[in-house]
Amino acid sequence: MAERVVAIINQKGGVGKTTTSTNLTHALAKSGKKVTVIDLDPQGHLAVSFGVINPNMSGIDEVMLGNTEIVQNLIPVRDNLQLIIAGPRLQEIEQLTEGGAKRGDLLRKALHENLDDQDFVFIDCPPSSGVLVANALFAADEILIPMASDFLALQGLSHMMGTIKRFETVLKKNYKLSLVMSRYASTRRISKDVLNTILQHFPEQVLTTVIRETALLAECPSFGKTILEYRPGSRSARDFRSLATDFLEHKVM
Amino acid sequence: MAEKEDENNLIGFDPLAWMNDESLATGGSTKNTETDSKNDVDNKQGLKVESNTFEDNITEEVLDVNIDSETVADPNNQQNEDIIDDSKITLDATLNIQNVAALYERLVNQLENQNQIEIDASAVVSIDTATLQLLIVLKQTAIKLHKEVIIDFPSDRFIEAAELLGLSEMLEVDQAAAGFF
Repeated sequence: MAERVVAIINQKGGVGKTTTSTNLTHALAKSGKKVTVIDLDPQGHLAVSFGVINPNMSGIDEVMLGNTEIVQNLIPVRDNLQLIIAGPRLQEIEQLTEGGAKRGDLLRKALHENLDDQDFVFIDCPPSSGVLVANALFAADEILIPMASDFLALQGLSHMMGTIKRFETVLKKNYKLSLVMSRYASTRRISKDVLNTILQHFPEQVLTTVIRETALLAECPSFGKTILEYRPGSRSARDFRSLATDFLEHKVM
Repeated sequence: MAEKEDENNLIGFDPLAWMNDESLATGGSTKNTETDSKNDVDNKQGLKVESNTFEDNITEEVLDVNIDSETVADPNNQQNEDIIDDSKITLDATLNIQNVAALYERLVNQLENQNQIEIDASAVVSIDTATLQLLIVLKQTAIKLHKEVIIDFPSDRFIEAAELLGLSEMLEVDQAAAGFF
């Protein structure tokens, strides 16, 4: 298994999970780290963000269903960066009702003794609280939570933490937890209040760099490019390069 | 209360306030700091040990559906209804009226001492109506006491039995991802 398995997770939608997955993994890969990123969201937006568009191609779905090996589904998308797409049957796994606890352990087993040469495996999770998120939490040692700077995101984080703490108890593990402020609207006063509230509860766990909300970040997926390719000199590209450094060196607020 | 005191603060209610309640915020995600290197090392060591425990024990014993029920049901086997910690109970593979009294005593004792009990039902391969009835009563009693009983990772056989008796909703094992959340 890779040195670090990181689930990028937040049960609330629209907080920047896929944007973070795309651009942080590319920034880490450009810094020389070997990175694999798994699209665990049946919507398949991560693949689109990297410019991989093939709705019929299998991916982590068939791996988790036991029909193929994980190494057969690696797609090199950039230097040092490989992608495993969601695949059309991933939604079936989300709806699995049979298999007991085993249905939560499919991804961890698929990763076991695989991808040993990778520095990081990132898992881009769906905005849900079902079997797929359970698989990510079984498989991961670390959790990165992207947070939008609004009140409902705070409410979602509370729900998320309840889930994580239950998993920690049941699986008897302590996740290394980090948060990143994504989609940060610095012109809104509530953004700062949300950040301060988070800092009260997560001291020294919020990565130093704030990802500011920009139009460029919304534009680049349609071109199949990361922000580092779409506008490498932009402040958003700088944010993600800086975030990669924070992540590697655990620079926190 | 979770209400914020600062009138100028735009967050009127802090949804994360429960995390400051030690009795609710069990588990405890690792807080890695550069300033507290001792804790950091301790946490990492704990992670490694617990990870091994998970891989060695949970994967092979709890998650294995081909579990040897005779071995697990052996009254001398320490895995039977093993109390992992003060608030967590792992149910035996075979649950019937012969052992319901002992289970009742254990669960009631736990409920008296804990605000929340987590019952791992992943290993259950056979459960009778007496045990299901016991669990229903336990959940109802917990509600009256403003406490919580959670059934984690119910096995297919557990869910099947609960559904057959129309109890899956009361036992809260009726969702597709029951046991995970």
